[in-house]
Amino acid sequence: MPEDLVKLTIDGVPVGVPKGTLVIEAAKQAGVLVPHYCYHPGLPVAGVCRMYLVEIEKAPKLQIACATQVAEGMVVRTQTAEAKSARMGVLELLLINHPLDCPICDQSGECELQDFTFQEGRPATRYSPEYPKRFNPVEDFGPDVLYVPNRCILCTRCVRFMEDVAREPVLNVSERGDRAYIGVHPEARLDHPWAGNVVDLCPVGSLLSKDFLHKARAWELDKTASICSGCSQGCNVTLDTRDNVVVRIRPRPNLEVNQYFICDHGRMNYRWMNRGDRIEAPLVKRRGGGAELHVVDWDEALDRAAMVLRGARGRAVALVSPKASTEALFLARELLAPFEWTGAFQVVMGEEAPLAAVPNLALRAERAPNGTGAELLGYIRNYAAALEAAESAAVVLVLDEPETTVKTPGALLYLGTMLSDAARAADVVLPIANVAEEDGTFVNRDGRVQRYFQAKPPPGMARPAWWVLAELLAVLGRGEPVASASDAFDRLAQSVAPFAGLSYAALEMTGKQVAARPAPAAAEVTA
Amino acid sequence: MSVGAHATPQAGTEEYLPVFTGKVLEQLHEILTRYPTKQAALLPALWLVQQQRGWISDRNMAETAEVLGLTPAYVKGVVTFYTMYHQHPVGDNFVQVCTTSPCNICGAEGVVKALLEHTGAKELGATSPDGKWTVIEVECLGACGFATPVLINDEFIEGVTSERVPELLRKYK
Amino acid sequence: MGYPHKPHPRETVVLSRYFGDPEAKTYKGWAKRGGYEAWQQAQTMAPAAITDVVKESGLRGRGGAGFPTGLKWSFMPKDKKKPHYLCVNADESEPGTFKDREIMRWTPHALLEGTAIAMRAIQAEVAYIYVRGEFTEPYAIMERALAEANAARAFGDLKIYLHRGAGAYICGEETALMNSIEGKRGNPRIKPPFPAAFGVFGMPTTINNVETLAAVPHIMKQGAAWYKAMALSNPKSTGTKLFSVCGHVQEPGNYEVTMGFPLKDLLYDLCGGMQPGRTLKACIPGGSSVPILNREESERCLLDYEGCVEQGTMLGSGGVIVFDDTADMVYQIMRLARFYAHESCAQCTQCREGTAWTTKIIERILAGQGKTSDLDLLLDLSENMTGKTICVLSDSCAAPVVSGIKKFRHEFEDYITGRKRTVLVA
Repeated sequence: MPEDLVKLTIDGVPVGVPKGTLVIEAAKQAGVLVPHYCYHPGLPVAGVCRMYLVEIEKAPKLQIACATQVAEGMVVRTQTAEAKSARMGVLELLLINHPLDCPICDQSGECELQDFTFQEGRPATRYSPEYPKRFNPVEDFGPDVLYVPNRCILCTRCVRFMEDVAREPVLNVSERGDRAYIGVHPEARLDHPWAGNVVDLCPVGSLLSKDFLHKARAWELDKTASICSGCSQGCNVTLDTRDNVVVRIRPRPNLEVNQYFICDHGRMNYRWMNRGDRIEAPLVKRRGGGAELHVVDWDEALDRAAMVLRGARGRAVALVSPKASTEALFLARELLAPFEWTGAFQVVMGEEAPLAAVPNLALRAERAPNGTGAELLGYIRNYAAALEAAESAAVVLVLDEPETTVKTPGALLYLGTMLSDAARAADVVLPIANVAEEDGTFVNRDGRVQRYFQAKPPPGMARPAWWVLAELLAVLGRGEPVASASDAFDRLAQSVAPFAGLSYAALEMTGKQVAARPAPAAAEVTA
Repeated sequence: MSVGAHATPQAGTEEYLPVFTGKVLEQLHEILTRYPTKQAALLPALWLVQQQRGWISDRNMAETAEVLGLTPAYVKGVVTFYTMYHQHPVGDNFVQVCTTSPCNICGAEGVVKALLEHTGAKELGATSPDGKWTVIEVECLGACGFATPVLINDEFIEGVTSERVPELLRKYK
Repeated sequence: MGYPHKPHPRETVVLSRYFGDPEAKTYKGWAKRGGYEAWQQAQTMAPAAITDVVKESGLRGRGGAGFPTGLKWSFMPKDKKKPHYLCVNADESEPGTFKDREIMRWTPHALLEGTAIAMRAIQAEVAYIYVRGEFTEPYAIMERALAEANAARAFGDLKIYLHRGAGAYICGEETALMNSIEGKRGNPRIKPPFPAAFGVFGMPTTINNVETLAAVPHIMKQGAAWYKAMALSNPKSTGTKLFSVCGHVQEPGNYEVTMGFPLKDLLYDLCGGMQPGRTLKACIPGGSSVPILNREESERCLLDYEGCVEQGTMLGSGGVIVFDDTADMVYQIMRLARFYAHESCAQCTQCREGTAWTTKIIERILAGQGKTSDLDLLLDLSENMTGKTICVLSDSCAAPVVSGIKKFRHEFEDYITGRKRTVLVA
């Protein structure tokens, strides 16, 4: 209700926000972004960096916006001379012991100390060159995290993340005063399944990922929104690519799914996206025998596949990967619709690892992003039954399952990224793109359909699976070719009830719910 | 101001003797009744450890953490905050001398010099060759009118002057 | 009583009456001296009534902030829905201050009695007396006194516990004290929430200084009007105060005088004046965290909250540090800055880095490597450190620096120009 909102003014901009909102959040609504370090919307308030000092009318001293709640009629000014001078003072103090590491520091280019100093800091230091800077050697905190104490600004985001979000306090602030640093106990490493988030949270280059160490410069990276394909949670991520190679995965905020975090399993789940041993051209077996596959162009390959499909009668089986896009899974179903059709998928399972303080967020046991999408489209989990059905099928379509060996009297169509031995048995092999090389959607375990975007081009002549299947349908005279993933999704939305009315535009960047959330298991209900 | 590296973790393979057993554990249980949370017993528990062992090792911190339902890293963060907890062994007699301004203007630094010399410790924070003395400077001990106050282990001695130092030390030799 | 000296006739001896009297430490000895009568009386009064008496008396917090005690007690919820706590701040660590130590050493039962009365007034069942770790003797004496009192069931169902600190000046800050009791690092908390709403263990809490509570039994027994009448200058500063005088005076010690007493008389009369042949150069009247007074200001200053503010300083804890003409103000200010740098908890950027940088700059000046611009830098740095942090340790470091440069600039300049020889090696 608009009447229930607290009205205040920030830098002359009036805003209305719910009672209890912090001034820092209200300021965002006013389009006001002031440099700060320790505050993070996913962490409890600390108020220690002292950067976001603002003038609040009637308050005798400057107040920190991250710890002040809005009040009716409050007048906040963030750009007064006093406030700016205070921020300049903090920046100067942060730099007196901070080493001039920018040329060798990974954070350079995406460093909040660089950015804010540029914005509001002093042009030159007043710290005499004769004073030594505080020095401590680099520490290895755990599987992926390095700590460079010299660069640390003691914002304590990492400590608060481990203590309050992961609920495993393995990081502390040790000692006091300007001798303080972030510490661990020698008997406990930073090996929590969500520990990698401290690297993202660190505003400077103090906590670093060993995996990313000295690999690329921030300004060389292209960033693309994607969805993690490591499990069924569907965390929103950003793929960082450099020269069309994925070099890093970072979380993308989605308050409905993963807040601001991703787990280490997902974080490290990108090397396979860069594999070079890919099928780069369509392949067919020559008519009239011969087990060899020959390179052909798309026209010939599609014609050949269509011919196989036209000539088949009876049963068809689709063995699909739960990593395939919803669009591809839909079009595969459409393709086999004239047959007595069985579609199935199998999912690799692993150990679940929840992020304690965030409800409904975990590295899920189901290690694939689109199992729910497959289910919504009528695919079943009984892979064994489907394999059995294949033994009497006229057509078997394998979608991106390189390890599946199919025994079938019928024709075998293989759409995949790698040419495995099992794939070599196919009559037609069609090369497809992987999740980093196409647009598409996944439906996560909570029934949320989310978009992922293309971060790099597919190799050679490979194409998105939805394109391949739509082309095939077109060649068979059963539909128009599809120009984009968006069009493919539109077609899906027209036919599949849960997706009715949706489009890529409607999905925006954070997705939409298409199915009910599964009821939480007893162990999952957190306080 | 220390500009040096902080201590590297020790690798221990020896059998560890827990502190919180028998009478000490009883004392801890009594302490636990004073507070509504186990965590609040941490500072008293650490004092118990230091009383028993003379200092608090990483292993002691891990044990204390376990007993109180905390993590070792958390306990370490607390231990390193408070200057009276020793994180490494010190001499048999631990000497703390106040040199903050009120005592400073009454000759405290002379007292420190005399102590370093007469104990054989030579350097602040170092232990004397015979293992009997460690001398450090501390901040205001709250006895400024009785300059210079000196804490030797738990004994608080008032009015120490550099001339009185040899006589004072004789008590402990 | 100017303990360890004989009481001076111009002292108003209330809290310090039994300093030096070994029998006063025992439960029986204290009772013989009229102790615990006020507690008996308080037990017949309603909590709000006790608070009213203390409010009326004008008693203000003696730890340094000078906040009206009765008013602070009245912030506690009247409707008791959760456990209430009282924390007694016996973490006395402010340089120059040594009065709480004496109260605990000589009259531990005065503190216990005051604690019990306060507990009743704020409806607390549990009190923690936070004694700094270095106070081994007062802690032992308090332990014994508490054991005796508990054996005599003096406090009924009220639980008073001793909690030993472990070496951190910052734990004297009320919210840091609460965190320390909870078994955490002694980091001050952001306010709001205030302790009366959300204190130790998240429960309504009041924190009072030792000297404040020691005054309470006297106020209960002799009445608010009696206490209020003891005001030599400003009616808002009532009662007596123990001034811990230290440094360059003939007879340092704790002197108890009525509020508003002239600092000049305290120094020259009660304390026996300067050492032979020396003159007063500077005085810090309220513990090292308040601005330094030069000689003229010291000789004008009246010792109450308002009188000190009038001279540009604060009454603070009443730790009177006296510097005569032999004192090197630059060195001492450096030593004070070093104190604050050592004690900073490390949360706020200004304090963590600023205190250390301030120390370094003055050390360089002392080593003969200072520049004139260093003084402006120090003043600018001090301004950055004032009014911008969670607690006032940062401001406290700035106070002696700013007042020192203002009033003793020539001493700094002597080092910078080389007129004075270096005392430190860079």
